[in-house]
Amino acid sequence: MPGLIRASVWHEMTIAAAPSPSAAEDSAATGFAHRAVREPALMIGLALIGVFVTLAVFAQVLATHDPYAQDLTRRTIPPLWYAKGNWDHLLGTDPLGRDYLARLLFGARISLLIGFCVAALAGVIGTVMGLAAGYFGGKVDIAVSFLVTTRLAMPVILVALAVVALIGSSLVVVILVLGLLKWDRFAVVIRSATQQVRSLDYVTAAEAIGASRWRILFGEILPNVAPHLIVVATLEMASAILLEAALSFLGLGVQPPLPSWGLMISEAKAYMFFSFWLIALPGGALAVLILAINLVGDGLRDVLAPDGRG
Amino acid sequence: MARFVVTRLALALAVALAVSIIAFLLLRLSGDVATALAGEGAQQADIEAVRKIYGLDRPVIVQYGEWLWRVMSGDFGTSLYFKTDVASLVLSKLPTTLVLGLSSLVFSLLIAIPLGIIAALYRNSLIDRLALGLAVIGQALPNFFFALLLIMVFSITLRWLPVSGSGTWKHFVMPTIALGYYAAPAFMRLIRAGMIEVLSADYVRTARAKGLPARLVIFKHALRNAIVPVVALTAVQLGFLLGGSVVIETIFALDGLGYLAYQSIANKDFPVMQVVVLLLSLVYVGLTLMADIANAWLDPRIRVA
Amino acid sequence: MVWQGRWMMAGKWIVGFVLALGVFVAPLPASAGKADNSIRFAYDQAPENVDPYFNNVRIGVIIGQHVWDTLIYRDPQTNEYKGQLAESWKQIDDRTYEFMLRQGVTFHNGDEFDADDVVYTLNFVSKPESKVVTQTNVSWIDKAEKIDKYHVRVTTKKVFPAAIEYFAGPVVIHPHAYYEKVGPKGQNEKPVGSGPFKVTAYSPGKSITLERNPAYFKASPKAQAKINRIDIRFIPDRQTQLAEILSDGLDFIMSVPKDQADQLQAVPTLQVVSGETMRIVFMQMNILDNTPAPALRDERVRRAINHAIDREAMVKNIVGAGSRPLATICFPTQVGCTDEGAARYAYDPAKAKALLAEAGFANGLDLDIVAYRERNQTEAIIGYLKAVGIRTNLRFLQYAALRDVITSGKAMLTHQTWGSFSVNDTSASTPNYFAFRAEDITRDETVRDLLNKGDNSVDLATRKDAYKGALKIIADKAYAVPLYSLPVYYAAAAALDFKAYPDELPRFWEMRYK
Repeated sequence: MPGLIRASVWHEMTIAAAPSPSAAEDSAATGFAHRAVREPALMIGLALIGVFVTLAVFAQVLATHDPYAQDLTRRTIPPLWYAKGNWDHLLGTDPLGRDYLARLLFGARISLLIGFCVAALAGVIGTVMGLAAGYFGGKVDIAVSFLVTTRLAMPVILVALAVVALIGSSLVVVILVLGLLKWDRFAVVIRSATQQVRSLDYVTAAEAIGASRWRILFGEILPNVAPHLIVVATLEMASAILLEAALSFLGLGVQPPLPSWGLMISEAKAYMFFSFWLIALPGGALAVLILAINLVGDGLRDVLAPDGRG
Repeated sequence: MARFVVTRLALALAVALAVSIIAFLLLRLSGDVATALAGEGAQQADIEAVRKIYGLDRPVIVQYGEWLWRVMSGDFGTSLYFKTDVASLVLSKLPTTLVLGLSSLVFSLLIAIPLGIIAALYRNSLIDRLALGLAVIGQALPNFFFALLLIMVFSITLRWLPVSGSGTWKHFVMPTIALGYYAAPAFMRLIRAGMIEVLSADYVRTARAKGLPARLVIFKHALRNAIVPVVALTAVQLGFLLGGSVVIETIFALDGLGYLAYQSIANKDFPVMQVVVLLLSLVYVGLTLMADIANAWLDPRIRVA
Repeated sequence: MVWQGRWMMAGKWIVGFVLALGVFVAPLPASAGKADNSIRFAYDQAPENVDPYFNNVRIGVIIGQHVWDTLIYRDPQTNEYKGQLAESWKQIDDRTYEFMLRQGVTFHNGDEFDADDVVYTLNFVSKPESKVVTQTNVSWIDKAEKIDKYHVRVTTKKVFPAAIEYFAGPVVIHPHAYYEKVGPKGQNEKPVGSGPFKVTAYSPGKSITLERNPAYFKASPKAQAKINRIDIRFIPDRQTQLAEILSDGLDFIMSVPKDQADQLQAVPTLQVVSGETMRIVFMQMNILDNTPAPALRDERVRRAINHAIDREAMVKNIVGAGSRPLATICFPTQVGCTDEGAARYAYDPAKAKALLAEAGFANGLDLDIVAYRERNQTEAIIGYLKAVGIRTNLRFLQYAALRDVITSGKAMLTHQTWGSFSVNDTSASTPNYFAFRAEDITRDETVRDLLNKGDNSVDLATRKDAYKGALKIIADKAYAVPLYSLPVYYAAAAALDFKAYPDELPRFWEMRYK
């Protein structure tokens, strides 16, 4: 009966998001590190993310201007490489005369923050549901599977748009709405991984010595499904950053003066036909960040499931 | 098999009902429809009058029950904003979105199937890497950004394609690419993974050992089996594409369901919003249901799982 | 190979299906602007209903004035009232107006215009059950009575000196037999008016086509149309509109932001025209007893906010030509509007900081701000406030949601605009925000009494005096932040001959190609 409720689309979610279950067992720490180094895509992705995180963390130091300081007399100055560019604003200024480099640097913070918080919130919800469904099975599994199916049937972008439009958008609202919507993949993947792990020796052993259910769930099973969790988390992080950008693009994401990249693209789109760099810089930054996160996600999946690559 | 179909059908209905409740509550509880209806400059008394006239002063549960009852009897209500019948409004927008959804699907399959096969055949080669790279980059480029780039190149600079509208097939070229490109990577991965799995399966090895031509093996045996999960995903991706058309339809001013959804969100047009969300959910539920039944029929193991 | 063949067949089938559906999507007539003497116009919103009483968007007003006529017409250049459907009119007493109607006018469906149309329309729209969306435009009408076939008497509920202004604006006349039969719903599906253009095709939310009415009555103060057709499309995204006009897909767009307008000016095939509108921009501050921002009850804080914003720099750099800084909450040409004797707050961030420090906010202050349009201007305001130590949290909302926040008393600061429905009288602007109506979040009784006196007095001098007094108190006590009037930029094909007016109403009946 629990099997009946699982739609075949879950199969794809599991394939695209997680290592094959058998890999979880033999991914000993040394083997993992060894294989990781041999994955150039993973290393490139990690390096890029490292760069972004560094830029975000040291934004205060690296920015030569206050990202919020506007000067209506110095509007839309192009970056240095244009004829009208100047050294004071390396990447120019936006239409309110704010330093673009400073805004991009601080924008990295916002995008990473959104990606991380949404993935964390969705991860907690989805993991708890997935663990419960996979471990307890039976009615719990049916209930969780029903929730997942219901959630999957709702078009994410529409629901997010509607809620944000109605209650008013802010950083917190965007994070909460996306976090409460994006847990499905976590639940599906963790559920199937838990089902695999549940019957393994050490779990049955722990059950035999009478360990509490919580101990088994969070002490024995969770660490073993963690690799799946990390892979899903990276993919969801990228997807959350893109969704926020799309919401901001439609004017319903993070609110100004916060320098989110999605918002910067949205504000720059009016200028794209004449001042292309205004949209190209945050657009490019966003694409590279998503690319880096996806490279890491893909790389991790391959490292954790060597047979997936054949 | 009959038991399986019946259970699945019941589940699909339950999901549809749950979605309708969630959407109804979510939308009703987060704003005041009466203010939206009364318009710019309306006084408190006017707003109260509007609230009474539209029955918005009753408990939410009563409003939901009434709505559901009417939907069951085929009455989808009247748009608060356009003042027309919701069913005919939604139906009039459906063809545009269906054309966009289907053409995007075809476009993404046209990219994904050959690339997936090639990537699987030449595993770990440069081509495989490139195909994977394309998939990763495809997922990284925000589709609205991509859409704007397309407009800049093909409409403003080259003047080959019209920017917006839905009059001719030319109007659908850029929206199709912008929407479909994003769906291609998922297909590609699935086809690649399926092909790799099938190619290493015994019967394919046997066929190869028997000396059958490589092309015949690939297309007759391998692809045929690798395509099964793709059929399921195709059904589901179509649902996602329909839902994801909001941004693309807004940019290209395509007058479809996505743009209608965006308009109804902006105008707090609850009856329309409800029906669009419900319709997209039903499409999704229906497509997964069909895919599941098809899969169960193809692969008896699923039925007993 | 067999399998491959099937795939190809399936592919062909899918392509065929797609093409078949493509044919199903209604094709638009190929239009070419100047070549066939038509104008391709795009607007970012779609009216919910074409019947002017049942929408509250600007495009609705525009379509309304082209498809329908009003009893009176206000000349946009001289502000002089002229008879349109009414040949003449007179005021009988404080609440009664009499109209002598024009003879020989016909509606687009051939019906002849007479007193029944006026009586039916006015009585229908003023009934609350009719659910007219823009109640402000009709709720002052008490009743309309037919005296004879071309003679009508209209009574207002209270003394309402601005009535003529409304008769010359939003109050259009429907053909009574048709309207009685089909109602607002039918008027939306197949609109019938008497105006210089008639609707020939309409696809709600998508496009509407207006064609020249060759039988338009010659005596109308609206000119006979020279353009054959107007193809109006609803394109939500401004960039898409820009892309269309840049690639010759459109001939006319309006409300182009200043920066884009400046850039379009350099395009040889296009012309950019700008003009002031009656729309005023201002900030409200919630000083009600239960305000979520008690700091705003301190006059020094309110004055600090007034001093913090550089109106001149905003007008010059981001608002654009045709805009002027304002010192009171009304539009200068409106009857009764003046800034004489009202306090003025020059841009002075140092003084703003000093005032804040004096009020006990030396370390700054956190406030919410709600806004709904001209987002770049909101951002500039936020930047100025931040510079004097006021940190804001912006909530950018749909208009309805914004109103919700304000009327429920939950707003702190607002970035508001008000177009007065193009009614050139102070009764259409200031009282909306200061006469204890839903959006009044200051509620000063003296101000209210003065405004009511202005609204409901017959004598012009008394009215002006009362409005002046109210506007002075609002400014002196810094109840709000008057900012500037909003210009509108039009971008059009270079060959199109047209003129911009302050009421944000493009008059296509005047336009022609050079």
